[in-house]
Amino acid sequence: MKRLVSKLLLLTVSCAGMINPGFAQDQAPATAPALEEVICFESRKGASEVTKIDLQPGWPNVKCSTKTGAVLWWGDPFDGTVPMGDMPLLPNVPGKVVVKPRSAKMNLLPMCGTACHNGVGPQFNPPTLPKDKKPKPIPTMEAMFPDAKNFQHGRGRIWCLDCHHTTQRSKFVDNFGDPISFDQPQLLCGKCHGDKLRDWRDGIHGKRIGEWASTGKKRWFVCTECHNPHNVQDGVRNKGFIQLEPETPPQLPRGMKDAKHELLHGVAH
Amino acid sequence: MAPEKIPNVAPAEDLACESPAQAASADPSGPDMTTSRRDFMKAGGMLSVSSLLGVGSLITMSEDANAAVEWAEHFQGNYRLMTQQEKAEARARLERRYSAEYGKRVVVDGTEAQEGVLMGYALNIRKCIGCRRCVKACVAENNQSRGPRPGESIEWIQVLRMERGGFAEEKMNHGYPEGLGIQVGGNAYTPAGQVLEGQYYYEPELVPEKDATYMPIACMQCEKPPCVKVCPVRTTYREPDGVVVIDYNWCIGCRMCMGACPYWARRLNVANPVLPKEEMNPVTHYLGNRPRMRGVVEKCHWCMQRSRQGRYPACVEVCPVGARKFGNLLDPESEVSLILARKNVFRLKAEMNTFPKFFYFYD
Ligand code: HEC
Ligand code: HEC
Ligand code: HEC
Repeated sequence: MKRLVSKLLLLTVSCAGMINPGFAQDQAPATAPALEEVICFESRKGASEVTKIDLQPGWPNVKCSTKTGAVLWWGDPFDGTVPMGDMPLLPNVPGKVVVKPRSAKMNLLPMCGTACHNGVGPQFNPPTLPKDKKPKPIPTMEAMFPDAKNFQHGRGRIWCLDCHHTTQRSKFVDNFGDPISFDQPQLLCGKCHGDKLRDWRDGIHGKRIGEWASTGKKRWFVCTECHNPHNVQDGVRNKGFIQLEPETPPQLPRGMKDAKHELLHGVAH
Repeated sequence: MAPEKIPNVAPAEDLACESPAQAASADPSGPDMTTSRRDFMKAGGMLSVSSLLGVGSLITMSEDANAAVEWAEHFQGNYRLMTQQEKAEARARLERRYSAEYGKRVVVDGTEAQEGVLMGYALNIRKCIGCRRCVKACVAENNQSRGPRPGESIEWIQVLRMERGGFAEEKMNHGYPEGLGIQVGGNAYTPAGQVLEGQYYYEPELVPEKDATYMPIACMQCEKPPCVKVCPVRTTYREPDGVVVIDYNWCIGCRMCMGACPYWARRLNVANPVLPKEEMNPVTHYLGNRPRMRGVVEKCHWCMQRSRQGRYPACVEVCPVGARKFGNLLDPESEVSLILARKNVFRLKAEMNTFPKFFYFYD
């Protein structure tokens, strides 16, 4: 099984390299006009921003909503993606899978493992590592990372080190205590949400863009592109997805003064 | 799509020299030959000045929108009955006209249905949050009219907002119907899913709202489409991969199909479509998103220009909650097939026996 996976991986790597050498996301073309930058978000506001550029003259990487700043259209669905990589739990995915690396969107991540939690460093010897995984106040973190103040995931039953690795802070942790890359949050979430992982693997939960054929090349959105792992209970409906600003409503028909007319004036039963 | 499929969007000037056939195909008697089936249906007064100026502006590749409508286009046959050669010519004519009109290289594709493919769609009704991104992505992709005046704004997807119903103690003794003094039983129920016309137009600050559910509807691509049955000129028909399409050039704008459709999926261009050059999507399909004219009916075709090239429809890609799924119903590994196998699904107005290939499901 392992061998099969690595072959698949090799295939994805080489193909992605062949087809798509010039479209790395941060590689703005030299001819980019000096216009004001348009930055819009793909799925989770504040965590999935992209800068609008022209892939070719008149062919943008994204089209954005002027009202909400949301991406409405992808000129190249694989822009800025990398092969999903080794997925021990998902051996038989038929198509080619690419993802956007999450670590590129993290502000604190590059420092976590070096500046403070270096696990073995001289100023933070093992004794300063947490003795258990139980919730406790973490004022230093709260100052840097407001989500920690109001942690809303698991209704009080889980805490930081159920997800983050104790000694390797730039990694997540799996059920055996082994590290998981920040670019593969699905392996982390899947350890508790197995049903969702299964639906996600089959394309039923979450979303994919690119080619629709089951053997086609697709970009899969990973769990944290939609869910804020530190606050999944947010939103009026408490269903794990944060509320959004909607796009504009359709044009009212000629003669209809406002959308509430029928509601206010009632209809015959 | 993969970069090699990104069209070379060239300015129109380069195109003028590429189309020597053009002047030749314009009949010198052009100005008199402008009566088409569509004009026949119109009240008159709609012949644009520019099409009367026809030939002259054709040769000079005028910017004017209607100038380049070649008379051959007015007299072409029903697309479905054309030979491959005639189809190619019809598309080339349109490419010339659109390229001149929109100032960029416009492609009018004619890719036919792929064997072994029956397209299908599934929407997770529980996930939809009513954000309308699908509606707007559809407009950006499919070249709908987007003017400010009445009738100039066309959207194919409608998102219905439905109140959540419930039982209330205060209403325990309400009679029904009320006010007539006849007690026909208690009516403590406030109806769920009641749709009033105004409920397309909700505009809260944030969605989803607390007490609402949302239901997007568009063309269901029925296996037994009533719209196809009623079309008097047979310009709307079901393609072999299951998509119901319209040859806009053959449409007479009679609106029979709009009346026949139980899903309110079809729209008539009552006004001259407003489509700014810079917003026009130059990658089009003859039976798909090519620009339409006044007096013809249009509707969703599952982004034929994309799906026939293997790419997901625009609404599938844009949905922020991943509620929209698309694929080949004949492939047991496709996302839609897996949903049909595993989830609870229903079709809208199944009792009409239209057999939609658009399924609603929930986890
Ligand atoms: C349910 C699992 C989970 C728990 C519990 C959890 N995190 Fe996280 N954390 C994540 C994931 C997943 C990411 C990556 C987010 C992304 O991809 O956007 C992350 C990212 C972070 C980051 C990096 C943010 C950045 O922008 O660089 C910090 C800091 C962090 N978590 C701190 C904490 C703290 C402190 C706690 C405890 C209060 C905690 N986390 C609890 C899953 C978790
Ligand atoms: C250590 C176990 C654990 C991990 C890892 C974990 N979760 Fe959770 N998650 C929970 C628990 C427990 C709940 C609370 C369920 C409840 O009672 O509503 C929950 C709830 C949720 C909910 C809200 C469910 C609802 O109906 O309100 C979402 C969404 C969610 N998790 C997403 C994620 C994502 C995304 C990840 C990966 C970044 C993740 N979880 C990782 C344990 C976990
Ligand atoms: C395209 C965005 C998207 C992606 C990617 C995504 N989810 Fe979700 N997820 C949602 C939405 C939207 C809901 C809310 C469903 C609802 O309201 O019922 C949800 C709900 C959930 C819930 C709550 C369970 C429920 O039925 O209410 C869990 C748990 C969850 N997701 C886990 C995951 C995990 C694990 C992953 C990655 C393997 C993932 N999600 C990827 C959008 C996404």
